[in-house]
Amino acid sequence: MPKITIDGKTIDLPAGATILQAAQALGIYIPRYCYHPALSVSGTCRMCAVEVDKAPKLQIACATEIADGMIARTDTAAVKKARKDVLEFLLANHPVDCPICDQAGECSLQDYYMDYGLHKSRVAPEDKIQRSKHRAAGRYLVLDNERCILCTRCVRFCDEVTKTNELTVSGRSDASFIDIREGKSLDNDYSLNIAELCPVGAFTSRDFRFKQRVWFLKRIKSVCTGCAAGCNIEVHYNENTVYRLMPSPNPETNTWLCDRGRMTYKALQAGDRLRKAFVKKGSMEIEPAIRHAAHLLDEAARKTGPESVVVLGSPYLSIEDNLALAELAATSLKTSNLCLDFPREQGVKDGILINKDDAPDANGLKLLKARYAGLDQGALIELINSGRIKLIVAEARALSSLKEKLRELSNIETVILAVTKSDLDFESACVLPYAANFETEGHFVNYKGLLQKTTPSVAAPDGVKPLWTVLSKLSSCTGAPIRLEDAAELRERISEFIK
Amino acid sequence: MSYKISEKTRAKIDELRKIYPQKEAVLIPALHEMQKEAGWVSEDAIDALSACLGLPYARVKGVVTFYTMFNRAPVGKYHLQVCRNISCHSMGAPRILSHLKEKLRIAEGETTEDGLFTLSTVECLGSCGTAPVIAVNEKYHENMSVEKTDMLLRELGLQQ
Amino acid sequence: MMEKILLKTEAADIEAYIKAGGYQALRKALAMKSEDVTAEVKKSNLRGRGGAGFPTGLKWSFIPKANTKPRYLVCNADESEPGTFKDRELILKNPHLLIEGLAIASYAIGAKQCYIYIRGEFAKETGLLSDCVNEASKRGYLGNNILSSGFDLNIAVHRGAGAYICGEETALLESIEGKRGLPRLKPPFPAVVGLFGCPTVINNVETLASVPAIIEKGGDWYSKLGAGKSAGTKLFSVSGPVKKPGVYEIELGMPFKKFLEDYAGGMLEGSKLKAVIPGGSSVPVLTAAEALKMNLDYESVQQAGSMLGSGGIIILDDKACMVETLLVLAKFYHHESCGQCTPCREGGGWIEKLLRKLEAGKGKEGDIALIYSIAENMLARTLCPLGDALAMPVMSFITKFRPEFEAHAAGNGCGKREAGSGKSTQ
Repeated sequence: MPKITIDGKTIDLPAGATILQAAQALGIYIPRYCYHPALSVSGTCRMCAVEVDKAPKLQIACATEIADGMIARTDTAAVKKARKDVLEFLLANHPVDCPICDQAGECSLQDYYMDYGLHKSRVAPEDKIQRSKHRAAGRYLVLDNERCILCTRCVRFCDEVTKTNELTVSGRSDASFIDIREGKSLDNDYSLNIAELCPVGAFTSRDFRFKQRVWFLKRIKSVCTGCAAGCNIEVHYNENTVYRLMPSPNPETNTWLCDRGRMTYKALQAGDRLRKAFVKKGSMEIEPAIRHAAHLLDEAARKTGPESVVVLGSPYLSIEDNLALAELAATSLKTSNLCLDFPREQGVKDGILINKDDAPDANGLKLLKARYAGLDQGALIELINSGRIKLIVAEARALSSLKEKLRELSNIETVILAVTKSDLDFESACVLPYAANFETEGHFVNYKGLLQKTTPSVAAPDGVKPLWTVLSKLSSCTGAPIRLEDAAELRERISEFIK
Repeated sequence: MSYKISEKTRAKIDELRKIYPQKEAVLIPALHEMQKEAGWVSEDAIDALSACLGLPYARVKGVVTFYTMFNRAPVGKYHLQVCRNISCHSMGAPRILSHLKEKLRIAEGETTEDGLFTLSTVECLGSCGTAPVIAVNEKYHENMSVEKTDMLLRELGLQQ
Repeated sequence: MMEKILLKTEAADIEAYIKAGGYQALRKALAMKSEDVTAEVKKSNLRGRGGAGFPTGLKWSFIPKANTKPRYLVCNADESEPGTFKDRELILKNPHLLIEGLAIASYAIGAKQCYIYIRGEFAKETGLLSDCVNEASKRGYLGNNILSSGFDLNIAVHRGAGAYICGEETALLESIEGKRGLPRLKPPFPAVVGLFGCPTVINNVETLASVPAIIEKGGDWYSKLGAGKSAGTKLFSVSGPVKKPGVYEIELGMPFKKFLEDYAGGMLEGSKLKAVIPGGSSVPVLTAAEALKMNLDYESVQQAGSMLGSGGIIILDDKACMVETLLVLAKFYHHESCGQCTPCREGGGWIEKLLRKLEAGKGKEGDIALIYSIAENMLARTLCPLGDALAMPVMSFITKFRPEFEAHAAGNGCGKREAGSGKSTQ
């Protein structure tokens, strides 16, 4: 393997590695604009130039492959001057409208200017090129060509990753600009990655713009539960509000994050977030609603026997919550009518990330099924058709396949567990809200079998608790508690599934 | 308004395809054919060609806007292209250009009202030994002077 | 007696060309082993005539032998460097010499398909070359089983569409592939990954037209023409205020003074030589005194402080305003920048704007130093040589004609606004 020395530190890397990669491995940061590890190398911004022994000119680190015995330097006067000069060129026609730019705080122009530039502008204001200011570029994007430095990350993303080819550079020289077909918009399923890829304030997110200055944001790693992909994410939040989701690249799961995944946090804020329970369409405080649900369960068991109650698991719920549902059936209601069988078609749908299965935890549910068995889907349908069932306890989306059936059989009552009103398209005797995945820890097994957990970043609305807590309370009211009072107990009980 | 590529041009494009092992390579020759037919390359023409070649709109748009010979707006019957580069410049191109502006009563990039003339300046035409040079559509007129320019305009039908 | 190779015959007509001994070198080459053809060209010391002067035989030998992909020969006929018009002359006067050269070079490198990339504005020349290719094919000099040798070759003429940058060889390849003419990162070099991802040699028109004579008379013979490392004959385009502007073929090494007097016919009446740009507009300018001391070969021009480049000699006389002349060039390089890499994209326009103000007498104190500094910051920092192509004229114009720039900065102009033949109204 070729050995390279950068700033006096030596490393071996496989042939084909670049100076930039070698520097990264050595912990030496080389500034860059056009380079992105997940896109082809364009080598055009010239920011990453370094000195290489025996080379007459500076070499760009992103495109120069290492060779055995190569000696490179990133800290010389020539390199520093080159960085400063590139910055001067990039800022020559830049509007420097940082006070009104939403990229401020995470802008490579700003950051590098502070690190390597700090020059006084030598451009007369009248010599600056004025380009078009912001325009909507898509459902989620705004484009400001004046701030663009033509690194072409966005163009390469649409060509190489989504292969949707919406963007091009039009024109040439300093009249070049990022162009979208007049009247068309950039609406591919991954468009918000462009706002993130853009190193400056040219592409910004319509969703996030002006909501919060980035330096106020706190960041925590978690997992997206928008589908079975299990993408790793970073939740950006402040003062109990989530502002945006970003990918947290993990070679096992994802480099990017789809727009739908990025928008999953909206469930927290939308007007349809359930903050209270519903009993027969009427709003009710949660605690009494739990007691009411327990009453419904007791009634059904008393009148028609425990076997007239069915409990469904859900591929949309964490292992913790499904465990609580299984325990509710087995320990508390003592019904054998537990269904944990939700066969889902899985696999990457678009060749990128989005999974055919929009549920995050079908595989976690399988682990529980192995332990609790229960009914399969066929048996469940048969049972419902038999007319012996009087009450179903289920998470809202797990009911979706049974909806039609249940509308027909109006004598079956339901206790539904839901996070948002939009999940509820079915009338129910009792709806109990619970904490969303951003508000509680939960384990999920993605389509590849990878076990991961969400990390809470914000608190649930007052009184809204994790589902396992809700179910634990519900079971206590029925007189046969499942005993999931606290996190320690929960951890103990799920330990066999998350080995 | 949609643009339809004529059968003749379509046949030419199919013929041109045979020259190259990759379909994209026919793009620039095909644009020349389209411009020959319509005089310029409109947005609709870009759509039509991208459909014809199976290339994304953005690929075609990027190419059309990179090469200066593709007109992005209609031009007159005679497109007068005055070389403005170094040898033509030192041999009198600026005088010819200002004469043309005066005679045609248009500025650079404009077309006369009768649609007869469009006036442009262009970069070096590669004919510096016979400077100054004016290209009219695809034909070079070399060793030009103000007098010869007047003659040229008359030949092309400029009404005095 | 000056040897003439390139403009010896003037025969656009294939009959006349054959009568004058044309296509005999191809016959001879096809009887040789292909590597011997390359060896002969190496021996000749022929250097690329497009501007860079890279040894041609060496370039051919970079094609990897083990690579089984198709190979391509591309002829660069995108002649666009201001002051350069030799390839056009060669194509118009001796097109079959080029085609014969293409056939020999293709045989040497093992290419079965050759593309001539000709600039879009050369409509007449495109038509002529296409006709000549057809004629040569009809007579068995191109096509299948050429001269019963078993060697097949097709030549396609591919027209550009108005972009100076496509003269840069990798931008040219992108352009044939139907893309924006953006120069590629090197490595990989075209000899390994070139046109359509295949091994490719790109040679200038004049370079390829020099090949038949080398095969006919031998590399040794050719290497003795000219001056030392600058072997052979070369076409020089001369333009500006001289009596006989045009294209002349001379052996390399001729004193510039002799060339100016004997070939270009000397300066126009009333014009005095002021400056010379010897190798196309992108090389450093020389003062009259510097130019008059040099010989026209690669080494001597370099010693004089410039480059032989394409051999496009631009003559500037005492009526030329150097600020205005530089402005013309800056506008050109600004306009022709492909725009992909930062220093060239942003630097060209900036320099042009500053020069425009300076030329109009609206410059500010420090503008000359600023212009120089911008050029310096572009030099050797760009992906392709276009950045240097603007930086070098800017730096040399300012260095060598500083008083003129200073007079403009002081608002005094140069007094040439009325006298100059070419005062721009723009």
